[in-house]
Amino acid sequence: MSKEEMFKELSDAVISCKKDTVTAAVEKAKGQGLEPAEIIEKGLATGMNEVGILFERGKLFLPHVMMAAGAMEAGVAILEADMPKDAAKKKLAVIVNGTVEGDVHDIGKSIVSTMLQSAGFEVHDIGRDVPLQDFIDKAKETSATMIGLSALMTTTMQGQKDVIEMLKEQGMRDNVKIMIGGAPATQAWADKIGADCYAENASEAVVKAKELLV
Amino acid sequence: MGMPISHIMTSGMSGIRAAGDLVARMQFSENMRIADAKDYVAKKLDVTTDDLSDEYVMRELREDLGIGVITSVAGAPKGIAAKMNIEKLLDIKINSCERFRNQLR
Amino acid sequence: MATEYKLRMGDGKRIFMTKEQIMADLKEGMADAADLGSIPDISADELDKLFDILTMPSRMVGVELGKEVPVTHDIGTLRIDGDQGNSGVGIPSSRLVGIMMHERAFGADTMELGHIDYSYKPAKPVIAQEMQTMEVVQQNTIVPMFYGAMPNMGLYYTPDGPFENPGDLMKAFKIEEARKSMEDSAKHLTRDIVWIMQRMMASGADGVNFDTVGAAGDGDMYASLHAIEALRKQYPDIYIESGMAGELMLGMHGEMEYDGVTLAGLWPHQQAPLAAKAGANVFGPVVNTNTSKSGAWNLGRAVTFIKQAVKDSPIPCHVNMGMGVGGIPMLETPTIDAVSRASKAMVEIAGVDGI
Repeated sequence: MSKEEMFKELSDAVISCKKDTVTAAVEKAKGQGLEPAEIIEKGLATGMNEVGILFERGKLFLPHVMMAAGAMEAGVAILEADMPKDAAKKKLAVIVNGTVEGDVHDIGKSIVSTMLQSAGFEVHDIGRDVPLQDFIDKAKETSATMIGLSALMTTTMQGQKDVIEMLKEQGMRDNVKIMIGGAPATQAWADKIGADCYAENASEAVVKAKELLV
Repeated sequence: MGMPISHIMTSGMSGIRAAGDLVARMQFSENMRIADAKDYVAKKLDVTTDDLSDEYVMRELREDLGIGVITSVAGAPKGIAAKMNIEKLLDIKINSCERFRNQLR
Repeated sequence: MATEYKLRMGDGKRIFMTKEQIMADLKEGMADAADLGSIPDISADELDKLFDILTMPSRMVGVELGKEVPVTHDIGTLRIDGDQGNSGVGIPSSRLVGIMMHERAFGADTMELGHIDYSYKPAKPVIAQEMQTMEVVQQNTIVPMFYGAMPNMGLYYTPDGPFENPGDLMKAFKIEEARKSMEDSAKHLTRDIVWIMQRMMASGADGVNFDTVGAAGDGDMYASLHAIEALRKQYPDIYIESGMAGELMLGMHGEMEYDGVTLAGLWPHQQAPLAAKAGANVFGPVVNTNTSKSGAWNLGRAVTFIKQAVKDSPIPCHVNMGMGVGGIPMLETPTIDAVSRASKAMVEIAGVDGI
């Protein structure tokens, strides 16, 4: 089997969302002498990207995304012994995500957290109706390099702006990227308040986070 | 808030200013598609389907039929009374009229 | 220099585009819908007509005489007095006044009574007020009058409700527990909707509007379809409108089925037959507006999706054309030029039965 075929098998295994299939494919790839890094990057991660696309297209659903992420983690665990210490556990970046104070909408923000998590980010979802200072405190505590701010109402969107202003006041604005989202948010609003990016949906959130952080 | 007004101006049947409420009733009570609902109401009112969105035609006709008009015509049926006339006109049952009848002794 | 036409972005901002750019965006939007929904493109003539509608010089356009359709403003009752943080205008007035303004001044073809929280669950503690108000409204109005709210299954999850939040469970890889929580919530939601509507029907409502079905994913749709089924059984003459929340049924559970069809991943044209099967009289398809794309892209896409939903639906389709859906810009004050054009296109090209 060529390397390309092996990568395809690894990717397909992740898309199948089955842990056993992924671990078997990883063992096989290892047996063929493939490097752990390329098994992960060119095989498993490619599969996870495809899972994200299939989710966006309504072909796979949230539980599948999580099953695929779980299966990939199991695959990566097999490779840990052959990798530099903790390299396998290394996340793409740390992100704090939540819905701003006064806004009780939860579901869209949770989907974004799940998709970011499954794409390899360490995500701290701090919930909904979150006091604005909590975003900053959590970012400090976790050394996050991105804060995701969700708002579903025009009245609470202001909270997205306020967090950015508070970060400036506390001398932290340059330490983190700000992503905004939610029904009334737009690119124009992101530009106006000085956010680093706006994401239309969960899949776009992953793409934008990777663009800014990876 | 201005958005529904824009829709009504662009595409709507003007409610009780014309006969939009009657066409909507046939869609909801008999699952009629728009063409069938308009045909049904037009036949019952003995007008053309175009007339159903024509305020000029429907203003007088609604008053004559006692099915409610927007202006303050003294003695003209309003509310439940107008809807009872709509029931007869369209040969349908309307829940609020049924409840009203059930309350009479 | 090529003629430039005034259009809008999906967020409402004014943009200028040439004919070539508009046609390219119309085709791209159409292709996106056709690809995602596995549905046919609209015809070349229909694309030309969309171009004509988008570039008409007048600020407001209108459907051809004789092609008018019923228009309802579901939540309009609350929009006069209320403000839920999107489009209420905060003019002190009762709900009855809001409804009568729509009926007698604005020309709405149907209306609904709704609660300011606009979900079924929070209507329970104030059901007596809802019943009383419905009776007063019905005594004073003529147009079909619904009771409307969002199923909003998210209110049944912690911290708002009794069942553990599936989002949290999912993130902890507790997938089966998350699914069980959704299944339990769905049962509770169905029961609440039926309970509320039993009381509203006793108060003279013409029917029920399920607004934004599926907002919390496939479990939300599952619960709503079962509530529709139960209400149709109990009240054969009840008017039932089932309007969707988004263009794609989110698969939060992923395996819930209705009538042997998996609900997750359904597009508008696939949702319509299920709403009809459950017992709805009218289906409200939704297509989301992308704020980063032009009005041409959004309308080409929305019309393609909705035309297929109208075709595949066994019941009338009243397309959702509120803020940020159906080619309408995502803006608190959607521009009249954009609303009017989207409205005309949906009636004349997609062939909707109402709005």
